Amino acid sequence: MQTFAYERPATLAEAVALLDAHGPDARVLAGGTDLVIRLRDGSARPRVVIDVKRIAELSPEIREHDGIVTIGATTVMTDLAESKLVRRLFEALAEAAAVVGSVQIRNRATLAGNICNASPAADTAPPLLVYGAVVVAAGPQGTRRIPISEFFVRSGVTALERNELVVAIELPVPTSRTGAAHLRRTRRRGHDLASVTVCCSVDANGVTRLSYGSVGPRPVLTVDESGVLADPTAADAAKAPILERMFADASPSKRSMRASPEYRLAMLRVLGSRAVRTAIERLASDAPVEE
Amino acid sequence: MEMRSIDIVVNGRGRSLEVAVHHTLLDALRDDLELTGTKECCLVGECGACTVMVDGRIVDSCLMLAVEADGAEILTVEGLAQDGQLSPLQQAFLDKGAVQCGFCTPGQLVAAQALLDGNADPSVPEIQEGLAGNLCRCGCYFQITEAVLSAAEGGHR
Amino acid sequence: MTARLVGTSPNRVGGFGRVSGLQEYVADIRIPDVLEGKLVTLDCARARIISIDTSEAEQVPGVRLVMTAADLPQPMPRFGPQLEDRPVIAVGETKYHGEPVAIVAAETKDAAAEGARLVHVEYEELPAVFTVAAALDPAAPLVQDPSLRPNDKFASTNVLREHRVGWGDVDAGKADLVIENSYSFPIVTHFAIEPHAFMAAPDGNGIAVWSSIQHPNWLQKILAKLLGLPLSKVRVYAPDPGGGFGGKQHTKYEPLVAYAALKAGRPVRLILSLEESFQAARRAACEIGVRTGFTADGKIVFQDVKADYLIGAYTDIADRVVGKGSYPAAGPYNVPAVRILARSILSHTLPSTAFRGFGNPQVNWAVESNLDEGARALGIDRLEIRLRNLARKGDAFIPFDTPADGDWDQAVRRAADLIGWDQPLAPGHGRGIAVGIKSGPTTGLSYSTVRLLGDGSVVVLAGTSDMGQGARTILAQIAAEELGAPLDSIAIVMGDTAIVPYDQQTSASRSTVLMGNSVLMACRSIQSQIRTMAARLHEVDESDISVERGVVKLPDRQLTILEVLKPGLGRLGGELTGNGEMRKDAEPNHPLSGAPAFFEFNCTAIEAEVDEGTGDITILRHVTVSDVGKAINPLQVRMQDEGAAIQGLGHTLMEHYIFDESGRIRNLGAIDYRIPTSMDLPLELRSETIENEDGPGPYGSKGMSEGALLCVAPAVAAAVRDACGAVIRDLPLSPERVWQALQERGDQVATGRKGR
Repeated sequence: MQTFAYERPATLAEAVALLDAHGPDARVLAGGTDLVIRLRDGSARPRVVIDVKRIAELSPEIREHDGIVTIGATTVMTDLAESKLVRRLFEALAEAAAVVGSVQIRNRATLAGNICNASPAADTAPPLLVYGAVVVAAGPQGTRRIPISEFFVRSGVTALERNELVVAIELPVPTSRTGAAHLRRTRRRGHDLASVTVCCSVDANGVTRLSYGSVGPRPVLTVDESGVLADPTAADAAKAPILERMFADASPSKRSMRASPEYRLAMLRVLGSRAVRTAIERLASDAPVEE
Repeated sequence: MEMRSIDIVVNGRGRSLEVAVHHTLLDALRDDLELTGTKECCLVGECGACTVMVDGRIVDSCLMLAVEADGAEILTVEGLAQDGQLSPLQQAFLDKGAVQCGFCTPGQLVAAQALLDGNADPSVPEIQEGLAGNLCRCGCYFQITEAVLSAAEGGHR
Repeated sequence: MTARLVGTSPNRVGGFGRVSGLQEYVADIRIPDVLEGKLVTLDCARARIISIDTSEAEQVPGVRLVMTAADLPQPMPRFGPQLEDRPVIAVGETKYHGEPVAIVAAETKDAAAEGARLVHVEYEELPAVFTVAAALDPAAPLVQDPSLRPNDKFASTNVLREHRVGWGDVDAGKADLVIENSYSFPIVTHFAIEPHAFMAAPDGNGIAVWSSIQHPNWLQKILAKLLGLPLSKVRVYAPDPGGGFGGKQHTKYEPLVAYAALKAGRPVRLILSLEESFQAARRAACEIGVRTGFTADGKIVFQDVKADYLIGAYTDIADRVVGKGSYPAAGPYNVPAVRILARSILSHTLPSTAFRGFGNPQVNWAVESNLDEGARALGIDRLEIRLRNLARKGDAFIPFDTPADGDWDQAVRRAADLIGWDQPLAPGHGRGIAVGIKSGPTTGLSYSTVRLLGDGSVVVLAGTSDMGQGARTILAQIAAEELGAPLDSIAIVMGDTAIVPYDQQTSASRSTVLMGNSVLMACRSIQSQIRTMAARLHEVDESDISVERGVVKLPDRQLTILEVLKPGLGRLGGELTGNGEMRKDAEPNHPLSGAPAFFEFNCTAIEAEVDEGTGDITILRHVTVSDVGKAINPLQVRMQDEGAAIQGLGHTLMEHYIFDESGRIRNLGAIDYRIPTSMDLPLELRSETIENEDGPGPYGSKGMSEGALLCVAPAVAAAVRDACGAVIRDLPLSPERVWQALQERGDQVATGRKGR
């Protein structure tokens, strides 16, 4: 790979200043599991690489406070998947984190990095959408909060400004009981990039939130408030048209090597209905996730 | 080309070295420290041949810049044997036939050691999942699992 | 006398180096003053090279050499194990995606990479053919210049060669049922975890070359010819490869690296990236048409097979693969009439080469699948139809050739037993069973030298390549067995043409038989010298002494070899040396240049279930039974068979190259070329052997390690069909493909689930 200047700021202010100074010539390095590949294949040629892992204000911690769970920007997938808090309150997010790559990848890849990469196939995106996450970003103008539904613009592009950095991801603690599930399609059982990702939650009020990715330039969130999807006694025939409407925004790429558009759409339907079923079952059992 | 000084502990031994910032931990281990036990294969974090432990957790060293390892404790395959004696895990790999061509073996061993460090009594699915990031084209997977089970039973340290 | 070691499973010789990280593969070997090499390739399948500007690259600090075709002898030297058609470097035209046009040698990897980036190639993309249909189109561009094949009737086509095999009269056969289908097998690659690695250094007035090569002597021959050097001045070091599977058998970039080293006057190393390895070796794709005639009670009346193998732009060993692989295409059955037409079709793709199974997996996939379909149509159990037609030991199932050399039905019955073929199936589960044979070596030559040192320890010099299959171990076991030496006192020296005597090659599962017998002979020679020594020492007639398995039997007592050796050598000490030569000469009239020394026979049985919503296949049980004669090291045999089974699951379920419209490979590298991980295994894998000690190798052994790969695809597809009715004739059986077949299932004329 070509060389670059390596910066390792100790404070958020330093990091932001670096980003501000170098703009498009800078890349943020967190886990490196995406960036290092790009540096090597030349698809990223920054002048400056900013390693954010020693920034005092960024933490690899997960904390609950005032009805919000805050996931620090340098939290890695392993910790997310193993966090008792996340498994209890946001089980589909823990499930998704547990399938990102291998153990080696999960020990390095950060949740913040995953969303900043903005791959439509990002496994954590659908659960974050379903759980209504908020991205906390810091820039020269200060801190702002970006709802996750506005965060993904299209493949590889987020709502962050060039001089902004993700500081944390916040998840509102659900106010009613929820059951949720994350499913994906891959080419093998071993770790793989997903060709369809789906996350579904149903809550005690009958609201179904369903998000899907890798079938379009950005992950999509849809909500059904009719109560029909969440109803365990409703027939599949009643649910199918609702799901169809929810999938209307799916537009899988024709160029993908991983799966054809036809298969992706078909799997979206299969996984969608399976995810709904599992979410309903989990809501009903509402057993705490294994500690 | 920007160079940086880093201080790392490798297999229990403190090392100070100057590394190019764009070189990976894998490059530093193999080329600068001449520890060629850790192997280079896919360079995209898929095959696990470059697996090492950094501060007790396994990583693909091909995806970590050497400078990121500054201050860290690294364990490579060369650090598994103690005083010239193969570790129980290494011995188990030999006894259970978990080695064919051997190229994936260093990565498998480090990944397996990390697994046992965190879970002294892993089940077969836990082993398979824990080592899913280590490809073996010779197909030793079942024997590797048996070796890890055997080392777990016997006490892995 | 019972064996002490043969038939047991001592730990792998060479294992310590592998688990300690101390073993040196080519990429780990450091020699002083070495230059790092980097290839320059075009982002294009086929191109006319207009100009190459190396000036900017040469200016990069640290770059010592930028070499192109212009720097090599004119006309461009060519090489190849079958046809000398491959240029050392692309000249005038690149013929496949990844063919190098230049090599940069620099003081550091960074400089070499930078230099490679700055080599400016002006080129014109040309239309490329990369499918069978495209290559055979009359308007297709020719992959090879006709002048390379003078007096060849196919020279103005992309057909390199036709191979016709047959007997009986297929057209006269009276069949009650004819099943005819087309099948396909994709391009897949070896994906050894060690990428190909090469290094060369000027060595006095000769050259030293390190390579991950499986055939060091063959490489030596090619290099000597290209460089105009005597063999004695070309030293090939061949450290144990990190996986080969056939992809490292033949010369690839060693000549280029050698020329670079000679030009630079310094050593040059070239370690391929994984992507470059994917562009260096692959298996031939194949399109197979099978027409099988059956009687109503399931006897095969005829097999009519057409197989078009898509090979690469240069022959490598690909045509041999086609000839040898298609030869037993009718299978291990007694078939009265057979017609096989196999063709090697050139294309603008990377050269296909040897790969475990050597052309057999492709045709076996088709022929066994077709047999299954016949069984279903006739309402005959799919196990039963195989037993009905299976050749019995001694049958001349291929006329005038090696007869069936095993009790193959034993393997089939054992596999059926292990899978529980007669047991009721759980709902949604399906079973499949398939058999296959692979021909062993048809010619061969393995020399070895065994040295019995003064303290009774042993050095074996044997040119086999141990790439994981465990050749070191079994050769050590043979020597230990015969000379009564402890296993850990046996040193096995391989991989150095200056020291180790000639071995033709490591391929075709030959080494147990050929090198094993060679080592056995060398040991017998030493035993004979011991006998002479004992006769002298004890004043006994030689004819009254026997030496067997390390024991010297005199009329009145028994001694160990060491107890004769030490006094026999006397005060000056010394050693005894034995040489072995195991030769299988060519038979000029045989289509394969020789009848196979043995057949590898395998039966694989699968139980699977299919998620009909997604097309995911779960292999519940995978049984593989191979006929091996004698397992010299049963654990290593099991590992080879299981390894082959898992590798077979790769091309069955997930592996294939994806090309774009212009012939470039889209899925180079590990992210989008998927092979089985530890999570992709059958829930249960059971491998067993049939050992009737009926092989030509030491102690009745045969070769093995390719058989278990042959039958995976047809057995899995059969199980899938049995489980859910999906009919698939193209590999891999990816979830998407299975799902697609399930959508089409409803439209098919139901052949029912009459048979099993």
